[in-house]
Amino acid sequence: MAEPLPPNPLRRGLVEDRSSDACAVVIFGASGDLTRRKLMPALYNLAWARSLPGGFAVVGVARRDKTDDSFRAEMKEAVAAFSRRKPLDAAVWADFERGIRYVRGQASEATTYDTLRAHLERIDAERGTRGNRLFYLAVPPAEFGPIVQGLRAAGLVAPAVDEKTGGAWTRVVFEKPFGHDLESARALNDAVASAFAESQVFRIDHYLGKETVQNLLVFRFANSLFEPIWGREHVDHVQITVAEDIGVEGRGRFYEQTGVTRDIVENHAMQLLCLTAMEPPVSLAADAVRDEKVKVLRSLRPMERSEVARHVVRGQYGPGVVRAEKVPGYREEPDVSPGSRVETFVAMKCLVDNWRWSGVPFYVRAGKRLARRVTEIAVCFREIPHALFHTQDGGITANTLAVRIQPDEGIALRFISKEPGQQTILRDVAMDFRYGAAFGSNTPEAYERLLLDAMRGEATLFTRHDEVEAQWAYVDRVLGAWAADGNPPPPTYAAGSWGPEQADDLLARDGRRWRKP
Amino acid sequence: MTAAQAERPGEVLERVEAELRALWSTPPAPGELPRARACTMNLVVVAATPGAGRARVDEWVPVVDEVLLGLPARAIVVGIEPGGEPALEAGTTAVCTPQEGGGLVCSERITLFARGDVCARLHSCVAALCTSDVPTVLVWLGPVHADEPAFGAIARDASRIVLDSRRGPVDGLTSLVYWSRARSELDRPGIGDLAWTCLAPWQEMCARMFDEPGLRALAAHVTRLTLRQASGAGVPLGAEGALLMAWLATRLGWRLPAPRDAASPAQVEVVLVADPAAVASPGALLAVRLEGGANGVAFRGEIVREPGHVDAATWRLEVTRDGGEPRRLEQHVRLRADETAGLLERTLHRPTHDPALADAAAWADELEGEELACGLEGDNVATVRRLVREGTPTP
Repeated sequence: MAEPLPPNPLRRGLVEDRSSDACAVVIFGASGDLTRRKLMPALYNLAWARSLPGGFAVVGVARRDKTDDSFRAEMKEAVAAFSRRKPLDAAVWADFERGIRYVRGQASEATTYDTLRAHLERIDAERGTRGNRLFYLAVPPAEFGPIVQGLRAAGLVAPAVDEKTGGAWTRVVFEKPFGHDLESARALNDAVASAFAESQVFRIDHYLGKETVQNLLVFRFANSLFEPIWGREHVDHVQITVAEDIGVEGRGRFYEQTGVTRDIVENHAMQLLCLTAMEPPVSLAADAVRDEKVKVLRSLRPMERSEVARHVVRGQYGPGVVRAEKVPGYREEPDVSPGSRVETFVAMKCLVDNWRWSGVPFYVRAGKRLARRVTEIAVCFREIPHALFHTQDGGITANTLAVRIQPDEGIALRFISKEPGQQTILRDVAMDFRYGAAFGSNTPEAYERLLLDAMRGEATLFTRHDEVEAQWAYVDRVLGAWAADGNPPPPTYAAGSWGPEQADDLLARDGRRWRKP
Repeated sequence: MTAAQAERPGEVLERVEAELRALWSTPPAPGELPRARACTMNLVVVAATPGAGRARVDEWVPVVDEVLLGLPARAIVVGIEPGGEPALEAGTTAVCTPQEGGGLVCSERITLFARGDVCARLHSCVAALCTSDVPTVLVWLGPVHADEPAFGAIARDASRIVLDSRRGPVDGLTSLVYWSRARSELDRPGIGDLAWTCLAPWQEMCARMFDEPGLRALAAHVTRLTLRQASGAGVPLGAEGALLMAWLATRLGWRLPAPRDAASPAQVEVVLVADPAAVASPGALLAVRLEGGANGVAFRGEIVREPGHVDAATWRLEVTRDGGEPRRLEQHVRLRADETAGLLERTLHRPTHDPALADAAAWADELEGEELACGLEGDNVATVRRLVREGTPTP
């Protein structure tokens, strides 16, 4: 067995060492919106922050005919429009664009990969990228399989073992959705495994790149205050909300195939649930963290078909008013069937059958065209056992800890306080920590963190194959129950509301109510 | 105000506290944005340069204000002038930045100027004005004398102490490191230095020379280090160069030679070159070159600041195997501009404890005050200092 490579002595203890090995990032789907709005701005921001390695290149691959120069010009415009750092820094861009190349090609054609390989070999010589490649698949899931096979056939996938002995590395990043259901996710995992080892695979869920989501682990496991009360003895229930005020925004065709359950719940909401419910991992190593998340997913009580109608509420937005503007209903959106039965809202009661969370419901809701854009995890604590203070307005509100993922990222703890004065008047107040106020508002975007992590081979913030399958296994039961019931039309809710009334009933039956975050 | 009318220090502090309260108790006027106070630390900046206290306060107030925009804090900027009539002057202001979604996030900045024997009691003024329950960072601008009461009393309350060695030698940093090491581990402040923060991109680029797996072992076979700085001939090596040399030495296992090492084959030649014509801050590092080789592989890596650009450099690596055609790699890289506010902000974002800095400062101290003057290149007058490699560096 080859000896592992000794570390570079000059990297020892280097404080600002968050850059990666020299490498080329190859983006399939380079003409797409994700590349323009997120990936290129993120790479540029990394360049601005000097987080990219010295030997670096970006190769865009797409069907359209473009030259390197025209691709660079397009990307420059995109970065100027979408980067969080404005205005564009001419010197940074000049350095960055020297490494930008374009390859025209189709996922299904072998010549695409031959051309790509020739380009990459040239880039290795010119830019010193040393044969290291990060393939980013910003394409529809149907193209995942052909691209994986094309890369393998063209000899563009280095064995995972090479990296351990100092050889070149290859990694691949998949954008969501990873599959359409459990069966397709498994098939995709198998196809990927035929070319890549799991250590080379990075399935992205951009929520995991958000600072507040990462801070959830820090908050739970770097403070001694909260972990002892983080469980059934003190927590009454948990509410996870992923609410958007926008509609489908021109993605009607996509949404007709997916719905909010596949688009949001299967990935983002499930990940938030896992991070809230998981046990402390033995370390922050990727597999240690992901093992604990998978345990949570496996502890989720599977919903029997007969239970789905009671525990899950669907909805579809009708016309309404959002941010003082009249907006159309879902069925009036472009590329949406007038008789569509696709859900744009879902609320569900999930139970985690393990020692810590037994009997504590996790209420999850996600939807489009809701009253406001907000993503949060609210841990609602039990009520006090005995009312010592007599209140005039019907009781003391239980404490709530709300972790706001977006916007106004932060953590708020609601508790009861006495109003100053002669009388004992109690008020619900908040201790409010806001990231923007404490650390400035210029925090890195999720894609910056995730791209850099993938370049560095750090997989903690990416989902593993068994995690994806466990997520689908849970959601599939819900989707299967709806299909078995003939996929009845979901109840309509007014755009700008908090969803259909049935969602309120879901909690009211348990003597609870949704927060209005 | 005459001396007879001057406020007593206690009155000054009461006034400052009242002004701070007023900043937040006064509701915004119609049309003004609501303000939220934020504070992640006490940032105490003491300008202790003899004879230049006030000038340095004036110089540092805008620097501090810029830092506060990204790092909300209660800043206390202090000028001390031990001579003259005892007096304490003070002013307060809010430094605000717009927040996403409206409103302003504001820090508080207090400026103090102490004269005469008030300087000896400065610690109690600062302690009274610090916000509780947040860490205190002390930025000390001036000579460090660990046994001097004004320094020691304030430094003891700080969780981190930052110096600015860019304009001078590194002996202040060295004293601070030893002072810090003498304290109990629980009570030991972190140490930072703007000159050290300046070096971060240079360090990264030096490390880059040995990233390639096939070249990694060559790090143990460096035979020559050349440092070029912006200065006239005969000027001592500045803090940046000295700290970079010391950092390389601690990482690559170099030490000062003992008499028995005269014939050692493991010699490292350190060449110090002055460039009087360079357009850069005096003492700024202009270029670093590492050369060496082993087992038929020779390499030369260099980083050269591009003339006329404060933040642009070229990184080059040339590798020759068995006397064949050299393989060359060249990259354009951006150093970070060395403007003070950015440097201080980056320093404050670094981990509190940086063992590499302490190691480098302690190594530099082994030179025992030896002034390594830089010479002119080309006339064989560049200074050469010999070191010895200690064998394989610790991984």
